[in-house]
Amino acid sequence: MFKNEELEINLGPQHPSTHGVLRVKLRLDGETIVKCTPIVGYLHRGVEKICENKTFFQGQVWTDRMDYVAAVSNNLGWAESVEKLFGIHVPRRAHYVRTMMTELNRISSHLLWLGTHALDIGAMTVFLYAFREREQILDCFESFCGARLTTTAFRIGGLREDIPPGFIKQVQAFQDRFLDCIDEYETLLTENRIWKRRTIGIAPINADECIAFGVTGPVLRAAGVKYDVRKAFPYAAYAEMNFEIPTRTEADTYARYLVRLEEFRQSHHIIQQCIDGLPEGNVMAKIPKVLKSEVNEIYHPIEAPKGELGYYLVGEKGGQNPYRFHVRGPSFVNLQALPQMTEGRLLADVIAAIGTLDVVLGEVDR
Amino acid sequence: MMTPVQQVVMAIIQITVLVSIILLIVPLMTFAERKVIGYIQVRLGATRQAGGIRGFAAGINKLSWAMGRIPILSFFRGLPVFAADGLKLLLKEDIVPDRADRFVFVIAPVICMIPAFATFAVICFYPGTLFTFPTTFPIIGGLPFTGFLTDINVGLLYIMAVGSIGVYGIVLGGWASNSKYPLLGGLRSAAQIISYEIPLSLSLLVAVVLSGTLNFRELSLYLAGVPMVTAAGEIVQMPLIAAIPLFFGFFFYITCGFAETNRVPFDLAEAETELVSGFHTEYSGMKFAWFMLAEYANMMAVSAIAAGFFLGGHYLLPFGLQRFVPDSIPFLAQPSLLFFFGKVFFLLFTFLWVRATLPRYRYDQLMSVGWKWLIPVTLVNLVIAATIRLIF
Repeated sequence: MFKNEELEINLGPQHPSTHGVLRVKLRLDGETIVKCTPIVGYLHRGVEKICENKTFFQGQVWTDRMDYVAAVSNNLGWAESVEKLFGIHVPRRAHYVRTMMTELNRISSHLLWLGTHALDIGAMTVFLYAFREREQILDCFESFCGARLTTTAFRIGGLREDIPPGFIKQVQAFQDRFLDCIDEYETLLTENRIWKRRTIGIAPINADECIAFGVTGPVLRAAGVKYDVRKAFPYAAYAEMNFEIPTRTEADTYARYLVRLEEFRQSHHIIQQCIDGLPEGNVMAKIPKVLKSEVNEIYHPIEAPKGELGYYLVGEKGGQNPYRFHVRGPSFVNLQALPQMTEGRLLADVIAAIGTLDVVLGEVDR
Repeated sequence: MMTPVQQVVMAIIQITVLVSIILLIVPLMTFAERKVIGYIQVRLGATRQAGGIRGFAAGINKLSWAMGRIPILSFFRGLPVFAADGLKLLLKEDIVPDRADRFVFVIAPVICMIPAFATFAVICFYPGTLFTFPTTFPIIGGLPFTGFLTDINVGLLYIMAVGSIGVYGIVLGGWASNSKYPLLGGLRSAAQIISYEIPLSLSLLVAVVLSGTLNFRELSLYLAGVPMVTAAGEIVQMPLIAAIPLFFGFFFYITCGFAETNRVPFDLAEAETELVSGFHTEYSGMKFAWFMLAEYANMMAVSAIAAGFFLGGHYLLPFGLQRFVPDSIPFLAQPSLLFFFGKVFFLLFTFLWVRATLPRYRYDQLMSVGWKWLIPVTLVNLVIAATIRLIF
């Protein structure tokens, strides 16, 4: 007389909490997830192919549009991998400024994550608090390079211009109040019983599974693996910086939340070191007007806010543009773990899992 | 005694006044929601809305910003937005989805709204006569205008009975939309409201057990702790120790009230980030507005009941502590509309405050909170109340 039927439901591509155009096909038994299939590609623009048809200088503009909330990190990856391909040595001052900007970007990216993740779970207010601070960082970007989101912040060989007068003061103003702001988010969430119930033990993925899926970034560190490209393969000025890699072992949503909050503090610490130890000197290396490559290939990973962002560049003899360009986007790789994290759990956990993975669809689809 | 004609005319006048007040407060609540949450979240638009750049008010606002304070004059800015909202909802195209069950789809918001308004029929806003019509009035001349619509002796039973009808509107609305998210929202709501109805009733039973009546007016007078003359002519007063179950009962009741009205942290039926808009995803225009009206009217009803039973009703002090107010200060010792509405508005503010602060429970967690936690503690509270009633 009665029969059970599974309900197939499309979460997205237009859904308030899929952070863009992610479509997740869910088979539900009641509210329990039987099968979860992320379907990506709605935002595919072919960035890699386009970059193969642009010169090395032009390519950077396209990297902004991949992970658009962490454009500076993408720029750094591109600039450094091209420099590696051509063996260009960047002045120390430029390295420091790049490090400072990238860490500011890490904070702004994590702020966006914190806000939207909390909003997905139902805590509205954190979202607006986080955006208040993000605004201040974007103002810093604006005075540095004129753009707020798609920054194209660096040039191959260093920086186009030295930092503007008053920039350090502006960053310092942010530095001075940011630690208190983190405490403010913590008072709203960290000890909140509902927040804890919604995050502890939710969307777990242990270290072995993380490694099998190639998951990196805070998700991997929350599973207890102390892997951070900044320490493992130092780039920019990170070798001279003093900072910790926060890890947890619980491997759940709450652990990832705590790891990212600690990363706020570490980034804050790195920025302070950059400000205090900013060396004098040039910001631009001497590079030819036209870059012509040799037959060469490089893979250059950096630690983007979401995880390991790798650029694979192949040069051909005399080529002004890359022969082959491939991006290892952390959002794309991390998203593959979504079914593992959610199957057999509840609908509301999918929302928490998408939030805690911190994917940006611009980078997933590229 | 009133003649039947007088009764009907009086009832029509009172109902008109009551419904107008509710219909005025509900849109104002949406305005207050914007403002309160805006200030809590430091939203720039809501805190500086339509400030203007010249003039006295703008000057005061600028001065208060310069002093690092929130400008007081901007508190009421944006007030016309609620009128615009209403107009928009009225003029908006009313869409019924193609495959929806048309009749049920249309009737669902009505089922939701009518019980929400009907609850107010027994709520006592003032336990006596507010004013008397001058004798020069036709038909109703010389009659008293009371602070309550009806004074029936099954008031609380009526509230519980009528209050549980509203959920049918939500379930049917979600089902009739013939869409997946509303269906999930409707199902969640059904399970949630049925589960929370039990602790809600158990926490209200505390009040009934202590006072021995179901009449809203007598209940609120007795639980305020003032000496009250019963129908049998004896003077009764609530024992002071009864404040203990009353105090806990208040928190249990408010918690269940949040769940009954589908508000954060129990807003699973319309969890925006999970179910898009839950049961009213497919609704637009005035039908959607009816759901909204029902939700806010329910919030008001829950606040009024909590204020009436637990927070001392029409008197100043809550939990039966009114006896400590000296009679020498007549303003504080007398019942007043001001006290009642002050409490109601404070509770309504609490609804908004909680919404801005707390995340949302997950569906199964909500159920376990209801069944494993709220029902046992409300039962214990009821036993305590019954013991106090027996002994004192």
